[in-house]
Amino acid sequence: METFVSFLGGFEALLSWEVLGFMIAGFLIGTFFGAMPGLTSVLAIALLLPITYTIDVVPALVMCASIFMAGMYSGSITATTINIPGAPSSMMTAVEGNALMLKGQGANALGHAALGSMIGGSIGAILLMAFMPIAGELALLIRTPGKFSLVLFALVVIILVDKGAIAKGIVATTLGIMLATVGIDVLQPIPRFEFGTELLVEGIGLMPVVIGAFAVSELLVQAQNWNLSLEGTLKRAKDLKIRRRDFIPPWSEIREVGFFTYIKSAFIGYAIGILPGAGGSMAAFVSYADAKRGSKKPEEYGNGSREGIAAAESANNSMCGGAFVPMLMFGIPGDPTTAIVLGVLVINGLQPGPRLIEQQADLIAPMFASLFVSALILVPLTLFLFGPYFIRIVSISRGLLYSAIAVVALVGSYVATYSIFQMYLALMFGVLAFFLRKHNYSVVAMLLGFILGPDLEQYLRRSLSFNDGNPIVFLTSLDSLAFLVLTVVFAYLILRKKPKLDAIP
Amino acid sequence: MNNVERFRRSGVLFPAFLLILTTIYLAEAVSIRSQFGGDTIVGPRFMPILMAFIMYAALLVVMVGEWRKDAEAPTGGSLLRPLLIVVATGIYIAAFRPLGYVPATLGFVVALFLIFDFERKRPVFFVLYAIAVTALFYGLFAGIFGVRLPPLLGGF
Repeated sequence: METFVSFLGGFEALLSWEVLGFMIAGFLIGTFFGAMPGLTSVLAIALLLPITYTIDVVPALVMCASIFMAGMYSGSITATTINIPGAPSSMMTAVEGNALMLKGQGANALGHAALGSMIGGSIGAILLMAFMPIAGELALLIRTPGKFSLVLFALVVIILVDKGAIAKGIVATTLGIMLATVGIDVLQPIPRFEFGTELLVEGIGLMPVVIGAFAVSELLVQAQNWNLSLEGTLKRAKDLKIRRRDFIPPWSEIREVGFFTYIKSAFIGYAIGILPGAGGSMAAFVSYADAKRGSKKPEEYGNGSREGIAAAESANNSMCGGAFVPMLMFGIPGDPTTAIVLGVLVINGLQPGPRLIEQQADLIAPMFASLFVSALILVPLTLFLFGPYFIRIVSISRGLLYSAIAVVALVGSYVATYSIFQMYLALMFGVLAFFLRKHNYSVVAMLLGFILGPDLEQYLRRSLSFNDGNPIVFLTSLDSLAFLVLTVVFAYLILRKKPKLDAIP
Repeated sequence: MNNVERFRRSGVLFPAFLLILTTIYLAEAVSIRSQFGGDTIVGPRFMPILMAFIMYAALLVVMVGEWRKDAEAPTGGSLLRPLLIVVATGIYIAAFRPLGYVPATLGFVVALFLIFDFERKRPVFFVLYAIAVTALFYGLFAGIFGVRLPPLLGGF
């Protein structure tokens, strides 16, 4: 209870002009990147990562949280108006929202998407603050063999989520772990894989990997698939007339959707957010399929179901709250956004874990508050203020946009350490990630392998050294055994269950 | 399709490239020596060697899968534009410190505008946008965040 109250104190931090400014700026940046097809909020956070070196940890975390929430919501804008989801998590919203758009009710669809995001995001943030202390207590019970099994669980789930390419998932994750082994050993002060150069003795930093994997590779992918048809679509959509008053969904429609749908979807989204590798797309899809299954009007699905929009948007925004739990408690990020936030914590000398919540809640609480305020206030406010101009804003020339992104990415990778070598590394990882993406290897799996690799190695070697190299310790330690059983159960569930294609109209 | 054609597919060549990297990695891993306690199973080379073998197994599965495919799935447009970006970026990084932020970035932005076909038909706008992008990020990094960017011609 005491911790929960200290989390509420995070709202006070948002009253500072500096923190508030970063939250609003982050939200607007996240909205733009989320709405723009081809750009994502992950790219926005990746580009802003170098800036976190130059600002305090509180505004940095607050900005990351607001970008995360905005990016999850704003994908619905182009999904609804031009049937191109700004973010993958808005696929379901595209199906229903664009159908309403074609009936001349686009603004109404955007209003329902915003309302779903607002309710889901707020519930997700409240659940995060409420359950964090409990998660903290549980985290204290886990010992070294259990920590190894937990990290292994996360990596196995991340690999298995992409059922169609498990071998490629293993390759990507292992590649990430291998990259993480470059530099000083995790237990002994000896350098590994420095290949005779001092530049690699300290290892490979998170920054060039993140910027290369998400910014440089995106540039290369967009350059390869360059065509101006999207620009044409956006220019044509500029003429759409959207009035502010149409954004407010009528009470009768909200009642028809039902508050139970919003709340249930938010809980589904939060639970999926806790799982490694699942993310907003899965949250939206599962919740949408569940709402359709229990709907009184299933025939509306595919033809502009407001209930479908509410379920998908409520779930994907609530997912943001859930995604922070494993990252803050165990240092296990389940998706690229929280992986980068973990990087921000580490850059500022903060170590995730129960102690962080107990002893430095004042640094973390404003981030939770930012999630809540972004969902509850900034989502509807942004829609009301900028809604009629969204399409005009995202119609900016992509040639100009990608050139600007290239400069931010490259200069950003320089500013953190004033190192030209970091710029070369960002380019090298960009090329590597480009080929990984081109051949359907998961770049996210590589990033999470890179981040979790040192923990995996450290816990494995520690556990084995304390037990004379005997791996039976992973079965005799109860917490470890529990996570191993959980890994097997998840593997069985993921591999057994066939995707329900009929859920998509 | 004969075996040589199958091998030339990028779906097979890419894992083959990773296979070579893994071999270099493994060779280096074997040469790692523990500082104390001898080279026990849980020494500093334990994890790299384990990862190399997992990588070999996974790459083998991927390569066999790619080899068995009758035709390679289309993977987008020409590689020329990405290649030009990589070259432009490489030159930008090499020139960043010797030339300084302003001329290097201006040149980089001009190159990217040309690659992305941005405002090529309106030279005045082309120049103005290039200057604006360079100035905007100078203002952001140096002005707002106080970052020391490389001065003109290394300070001369």
